[in-house]
Amino acid sequence: MQLTISGLTMGSIYALVAMGLYIAHLTTHRVNFGQGDYMMVAGFLVLGLGRLGLHAILSVLVSICMLGLMGYFLERVAIRPLDRFKRISVGAYGWILTTAGLALIAQNSVELVWGKSAQYSPPLFSSKRDQMVTIFGARFLLEELIVIIVAMTVVACFLWLIKKSRWGKAIQVVAFNPETAELLGINTKSVKIFAFVVASVLAGVAGVLIGPIVTLQPHMGLVFTIKALIVATVGGFSNPVGILIGGFLFGICEAYSNYFDSQFGDLYPLLIALGMVALRPSGIFSERSDDVR
Amino acid sequence: MNMLKRYLTFAACSMVISSASFAQVKVGVIQGLSGPPAIVDFGESYLQGIRLALKDHEASGAKVKIELQVYDDEANPQRAVALAQRLIQSDKVPVAIGTVSSGNVLAMAPVFQKANIPLVAGPSIATQITAQFIGEKPSFIFRCSMVEKFQIDGMLDWGVKKFKRIGLIHSTTGYGNFAAKEIQDGIKTRGSSLALVEAAAPGVNDLTPQMVKMRDAGVELILNFHESFELVYRPMAKVNYRPVVAGNWGLSSMKVMEIVGREAIEGTVMGQALDMSQPRSKTFDERMRKEFGGAYRWPVLAALGYDAGQIVFKAVERVGKADPIAIRNAIESMDSLQAVSATPAKPFSPSDHECLDKEHVFLGVWKGGAVVKLMD
Repeated sequence: MQLTISGLTMGSIYALVAMGLYIAHLTTHRVNFGQGDYMMVAGFLVLGLGRLGLHAILSVLVSICMLGLMGYFLERVAIRPLDRFKRISVGAYGWILTTAGLALIAQNSVELVWGKSAQYSPPLFSSKRDQMVTIFGARFLLEELIVIIVAMTVVACFLWLIKKSRWGKAIQVVAFNPETAELLGINTKSVKIFAFVVASVLAGVAGVLIGPIVTLQPHMGLVFTIKALIVATVGGFSNPVGILIGGFLFGICEAYSNYFDSQFGDLYPLLIALGMVALRPSGIFSERSDDVR
Repeated sequence: MNMLKRYLTFAACSMVISSASFAQVKVGVIQGLSGPPAIVDFGESYLQGIRLALKDHEASGAKVKIELQVYDDEANPQRAVALAQRLIQSDKVPVAIGTVSSGNVLAMAPVFQKANIPLVAGPSIATQITAQFIGEKPSFIFRCSMVEKFQIDGMLDWGVKKFKRIGLIHSTTGYGNFAAKEIQDGIKTRGSSLALVEAAAPGVNDLTPQMVKMRDAGVELILNFHESFELVYRPMAKVNYRPVVAGNWGLSSMKVMEIVGREAIEGTVMGQALDMSQPRSKTFDERMRKEFGGAYRWPVLAALGYDAGQIVFKAVERVGKADPIAIRNAIESMDSLQAVSATPAKPFSPSDHECLDKEHVFLGVWKGGAVVKLMD
């Protein structure tokens, strides 16, 4: 049970980061290669604001808003300017370099402010370290429970946003065809900015939640970006519920593989993911129909 | 015109006199100052000690002015070798100090040995660093750091006597696998065996699975040889398991205590070479706090860095110029050293290039927020 909870917790974080990749990819066919680093920045922001004496809730809100601004900045600086080169074969993939470059800037900025050492981030939702909750005889950290609940809530909100809201419908139209969206009077530029802001906010939520359950350090982001990409691929790059379930499966698989063979604990989930992608290249929860975009 | 000539002659004479009375020697330092957090903590702490030693050297009225040429090897062996070559060929240093990763030292030490430039290795820990050069006459490789075998021997002698079930968690890096082998061999020679051996990759964030297995196997003492020292402690509360932890001297870092909490780290045992009950150590600790404030976090590392600095600067002062062979001989014959760490007054001999020998390494334990000498 403890292993399952531990797996679900880490899986929730992977899913939140992956969800950001999903929405950016859905709208623009681009992803932020520094998504994990944005998560790291949020973790450090909460830590720093907390140390400055800001109330936990306020520091969470300010950090998430800051991440939203970073998402706006990312789209304006690292994504949009490259659109004019998209017809050139090499230029079309320039966003890989620009987003990875911004990730490096984020890492180095954090190092400049907080140093290169690992940092402890105190719990946000409990008054002391290691506040435990016991459910069905299994003990786990209150923070872990909150991570899982938040991840599921975010997916529910996300589904509503995509399927029901005006913005969600606009995103789907832009995803289908930006020129058609323009003809329908949709401001595609705003929709693209919105997608990157939402993606960064999701990384912010993940960063706020992960701080107290792991040790923060400036170079932690890359591993999360890679695992989130795997989760998004396994879950299906076009299905938020699939991404959440993919995250849970990957996290649980990681926990159990470390239990049975810790020497190669990180290898088995990757092999399983590779097998899944080979069997279902579009992800286990994606639609079977062709992508008509 | 005559006035100008006189002035130029006076200026030239002054320059000759000043350069004769204050010779300047560059000392190379290669340290791990970026990369994994544990490496950075080791590198920065050791460098802090070197810098304080330099400050004291200058305050002592030394005739030789020393300039430190510091490079960051980023925990990368290729870069360490390139920096060693740069120090020798471009900076023309007659002596060098460094670095954290044993793999980096093993990669760059042959470069220094071949160039006849003395290297005082530290804070690298692998057992064989000086041993593999001591047969060369003369060897230019010295070390001022903990020696893995000595701390493991101390830990196993104590652990086997006190605990029935001992487990090991190590990282899957070169360092972790090497330490695991030394521990497994050591425990075998003591007629015992490990109840459980678990590993973890260097970038992991959670050791809950490994700790659940340790708990289920009834392990009473966990030997922690993973570079992310704090990971073992984090799942303890949720798996309701509080074993004794012993391990690498890295566990004495105040950074580890800050991350895992004072309560969790209480009773943790590690290899040590700085006895904080000694007045000299206390004075050093206070001076380091004053000098580096919150950035000072690791007394034993800083102390060994200080002693490595002292040894090198005294040798340079004795020689008075940038002569690598004479500096090497001065290091080897160094005596009456007032070390802060457990390093003896005469650290080296032609057959021993280690600052610390087995009798100087002891076990420390976290007690009341500080590392003290383990008494039992």
